Amino acid sequence: MGLEQHFPALIIAILFGIAFLSPLLFRWARKLSAPVLITTLAMATMMAVYLLVLVYQGGEFSYYMGGWPPPWGVEFKINLLRVYMLLIVLAISLWIMVYALKDLEHELKQELMGWYYSLYALLVGSMAGIALTNDLFNLFVLMEICAISACAIISIKEDRACLEASFKYLILSAMGTGCFLLGVAMLYMVTGQLNYDLVNEALPAAIELYPNNMFAAAALFIVAFGTKAALFPLHVWLPDAHASAPSPSSAMLSGLVIKIYAFALFIMFYQVFPRPLLESIPINEIVLWLSAMGIMFGSIFAMVQVDLKKMLAYSSIGQIGYVFLGIGLDDTIAVTGGFYHLLVHAIMKSMLFMTAGVIIYSTGIRQIKQLGGIGQVLPITMIAFTIGSASMIGLPGTGGLISKWYLALGALEIGRPIFVVIILASSLLNAVYYMPIIVNAFMQQEEFEHEVKPVPRQMLIPLFVGMAAIIFFGVFSRPVISLLENALQIFF
Amino acid sequence: MDETTAIAVILFIILFPIIMTPVIMAAGGRSEKLRNALALATSAVTFLLVISLYPFIMRGDVVQHTFFEILPNLEISIRLDILSFCLAAVASFIWFLCTVYSLDYMAEEHGGSRYYAVLVFTLGSCLGIFLAGDFFTLFVFFELMSLISYILVVHEETEQALKAGYKYLIMTIIGGLALFFGIIITFEIGGTVSLGVGSIIQEGTLLALLAFVCFLIGFGMKAGMFPLHVWLPDAHPVAPSPASALLSGVMLKTGAYGLFRVVFHGFSVELIQNSNWDIILGILAVITILLGSAVALTQNDIKRRLAYSSVGQMGYVLLGLSVLNENAITGTMFHIFSHAIMKSCLFLAAGAIIWKTGKRLISDMGGVGREMPFTMVCFSVAALAMIGIPPLNGFLSKWTLGLGALDANLTIYALVLLISSLLNALYYLPIIVPAFFEIVGENENSHALQLIVRDATPRMLAPLVILALCTIIFGLSPINIPFELSRLTSLFFLEGGLM
Repeated sequence: MGLEQHFPALIIAILFGIAFLSPLLFRWARKLSAPVLITTLAMATMMAVYLLVLVYQGGEFSYYMGGWPPPWGVEFKINLLRVYMLLIVLAISLWIMVYALKDLEHELKQELMGWYYSLYALLVGSMAGIALTNDLFNLFVLMEICAISACAIISIKEDRACLEASFKYLILSAMGTGCFLLGVAMLYMVTGQLNYDLVNEALPAAIELYPNNMFAAAALFIVAFGTKAALFPLHVWLPDAHASAPSPSSAMLSGLVIKIYAFALFIMFYQVFPRPLLESIPINEIVLWLSAMGIMFGSIFAMVQVDLKKMLAYSSIGQIGYVFLGIGLDDTIAVTGGFYHLLVHAIMKSMLFMTAGVIIYSTGIRQIKQLGGIGQVLPITMIAFTIGSASMIGLPGTGGLISKWYLALGALEIGRPIFVVIILASSLLNAVYYMPIIVNAFMQQEEFEHEVKPVPRQMLIPLFVGMAAIIFFGVFSRPVISLLENALQIFF
Repeated sequence: MDETTAIAVILFIILFPIIMTPVIMAAGGRSEKLRNALALATSAVTFLLVISLYPFIMRGDVVQHTFFEILPNLEISIRLDILSFCLAAVASFIWFLCTVYSLDYMAEEHGGSRYYAVLVFTLGSCLGIFLAGDFFTLFVFFELMSLISYILVVHEETEQALKAGYKYLIMTIIGGLALFFGIIITFEIGGTVSLGVGSIIQEGTLLALLAFVCFLIGFGMKAGMFPLHVWLPDAHPVAPSPASALLSGVMLKTGAYGLFRVVFHGFSVELIQNSNWDIILGILAVITILLGSAVALTQNDIKRRLAYSSVGQMGYVLLGLSVLNENAITGTMFHIFSHAIMKSCLFLAAGAIIWKTGKRLISDMGGVGREMPFTMVCFSVAALAMIGIPPLNGFLSKWTLGLGALDANLTIYALVLLISSLLNALYYLPIIVPAFFEIVGENENSHALQLIVRDATPRMLAPLVILALCTIIFGLSPINIPFELSRLTSLFFLEGGLM
C-alpha cells in the first residue's frame, strides 16, 4: 500500500500534528510557524483533490483506521459528497488563513499567534474528520474538538464581549453535544452498533421493538445539530459569537463551522436512519418550517442591526436556513440547491467578514452608519462587499442565484410554491439591508472623515479570489452541480 | 448576410458597448474630449450595426443561437426576429441622439466619466434584453440594466435623488424577484425557457396563472404599470435630462417588450384569451392610462409631468397587448416607436429649458418660447403628437389602436383612448400656450413680439430637431418604415412563424 492509500487519515493527522507543533514552532522559529501552517493546509487540500480524483475513477471506498474493519475499527467513508464537503472545508480554511495572517496582527496579542494557529489547525482537522467519518462515536469526539477549538478562537481575543459570547457558545454547544451523545446512546442501546452503515442495517428490526427510542434519537439529533448549526430558534448564541470574534474567526465560524453540522445532520437523516422511519415521522416537515422561520427572522433581525459584523452574523442565520431548507424539502434538486448554497455561502460570507475585517483594520469602524463614503477610500474592499451582497440577494451572474434557482425548482417540484415565496421574500429583505450600505458607501457626497490606514496587499488578494470565485460559481456552475447530482444519487 | 454573420453582429452589438465601458472610464481620466468622442462613437457604431441587420430581417429570417448552458436546459442564447430588431433599432437610435445631446448638457456636471461609462453599459445591457434568446438571458440583462441605470437615476447625488433612487432600487429588486419566480415556474412547467420553441406553457393551471402574474409584476413594474408605477414619477425626473429621456423613452419599453415575449412565447394568444387573462391586462392598462394622465394634470414640475405622462402612454402599449388582434398589435408596436421618439424629444426639450434658464416649474415657463424658439417648437410638435393630432405619429398609433379595439368589439377601450387624448391636451397645451403667448417681465403692456433668442447650443438642438422631424415624418410619410415594421411584427406574431 502506497502512501496515497492513507490520505484520508493523513489529512487529519497532519492537521492535528501541526496543531501540536505550532506553539513550539512559534517559540523556536517564529518566522516559520505561519508558512508551515499554510503549507500544511495546502497539502491537505491537494490530498483532498487527489481523493476526489480517486472517487471519480473508482467510486466510493472506505478507509479503516489501523486496518481494523468495522465494527471494531473506525471507518472513514470516501464518496463524492464527503469529498465535496472535505474540499470546501480545506480550501476555504486555506483561503481564510492567508487573509488571517495580516488581519490577526492587529487583533491579537503577538504572543498568542502560535496558539491561534494551533487552534485553527485543530478546528480544520476536526471538520475534515466530521466530513469523512463513518462512525457515530468518532463523530462525537470530533464534534467536541470542533466545539472547543471554535470557542477558543473566539475567546482568544480576550475582551469582555468575546469572553461572554464564547461562554454562551460553549454552554449551548455543550448542550448540543450532550443531546447528540444521548441520541447516540439510544441508537447504540437498540442496535449495538456505532458504524453508520451497520446502524442503518440494524435499525429496521430495532424500530419494530423500540419505536420510541428511535423517535427520541431523531429529535435529539435535530436539537443537537440544530443548536450547533444555528437552526432557528436555537440560533441565540450565534450573533454574539460571530460578531465579537476576530474577523478571520468570524469568517471561519460563519463560513464553515455551522455548515459542517448541517452536513452532519443530512448524513444522519439520509444515511443512518432508514427511509421508512424518516417518512413515518414529520422530521422533514419540522426542519422545513424551522428553516423557513430562520430564513425570515434571520433577515428581519439583520435589518435592525447597527453593527456591521452583527448584521452579517444574523444574515448567516437566514442563510444557513437555505441549506436546511434544501435538506428538509427532501428532493434531489432541492438538496442539490442546499449543498450548492453551502459552498456559495461559505465563500460569500467568509468574504463579507473579510471585508468587514479590512474595514475595521483600516478605519476601526464597526457601525454601519459611519460607513458613508467609504467606497472612495477603500474601493476594492467595497466592490468585494458589493459582489458578496449581490450574491446574497441572488442577482444573476453570482453563485447565489444558482442555489436559489435549484432550491426554488425543488420546492416547485414537490408542489410547494410557498417556499419559493419565502426564498424570494428573504432575498428582498437581504436587498433591503445590504443595498443601503453599498449605496451610502459609494454615493455619499461628504468626504470620509475617519483616519484610513493603508490595506496590505495580503488582505486584498483573498478578496480578489473571493470575488472571482463568486462569479465563477455563478457562471460555470455545471461541474459542481453535476458532481452533486452524482453524489446525491445514493441517497434518493 | 447569412446567419453566422448575423450572430457575430448581434454578439458584437451587445458586447461592444459593455467592453467600451471600462475604456471610456479610463479615457475619462486622461481627456474629456477623448471620452466623449469614444462614447459617441460607441453609440453610433452600435446604431449602424443594428440598422445593418435590416435586410436580414426583411427576408423574414429569425436567428436563434445558444452559446452555452449554465444549467441543463438553462442557456445563454440570443435571438433576432422582427420584434427584437424594431426595439433594438429604436433604442440605439435614441441612445445615439441622447449621447449627442449629453455632450453639452453634461459638460459642466460632475462625474462625467461615470455618466458616460454607465450610459454606454446600459445601452449594451438594454440591447441584450432585446436580443436575448430565452427568458433567463433576458432576465440577466434586465437585472443588469435595471441595477446599473440606478447610477443614472442618482447621478446628481442630491438627497431627493438618493431617496428616489432607493425606491427605484427596491422596486427593481421586487420586480426582479417576481421575474425570477415567473421564470422558474415556466421552467418547471415547460422544462425550458427558450424563446425558440413557440409557447412554453400550454395549460391554464393555477401555477401558470401564478407565473403570468409574476411576469406581469416583473415586467409591469419596469413598464410603469399601475399599481407598480410608484417609482417612476420619482426616479425619472431626478436623473439628468438625457438620462430621463432614455429612462422614459427606451428603458420603459423593456418592460413592454418583456410582456410581448411573455404573451407570445411564454404562453400563447389562445391560452391567454381562453383563460381571460387578457382582461387582467386590459383593466390594469385602462387604470394606468387614466391615472397617469389624470395625475400628470396636477404636476407643476415639468419633468414630473412628463414622467406621469409616460405612465399613461405605457398604458396604451399594455392596452394594445391585451386586445391581441392584428390592428391592436400593430398599434402597440407603432406606439412603442412613437412614444420613444416623442417622449425623448419632450424630455430633451425640457432638459434644454432647465439647462438654459434653470426653470423647472411649469408656472414659471411663460414666455420661454420666445427665448428658446427652436426648443419650444420641437417641444410643441412632440406634445401635439402626444395628444394625437393628425398628421403626427401619435395620431397614427392611436388610430390603429382604436381600430384594433373596435375590431375586437371593445368600444370602451376606444373611448378610454379618446378620454386620455383629451387629458393629454389638457396638460400639454397649458405648457405650450403660455410659453409662446404669455408676456412676462417689465414690458407687460407692450404686445410687440420681442425675440431675444437665447436658445440651447446646436449640439443640443440637433437631436431635438431630428426627433421632432421624426414625429412628423413617421406620421405623414407615405413610406413609413416603422409602421410597416409594426404591421409585419403583428403579422409575424399572430399568423404563425414563431419559431
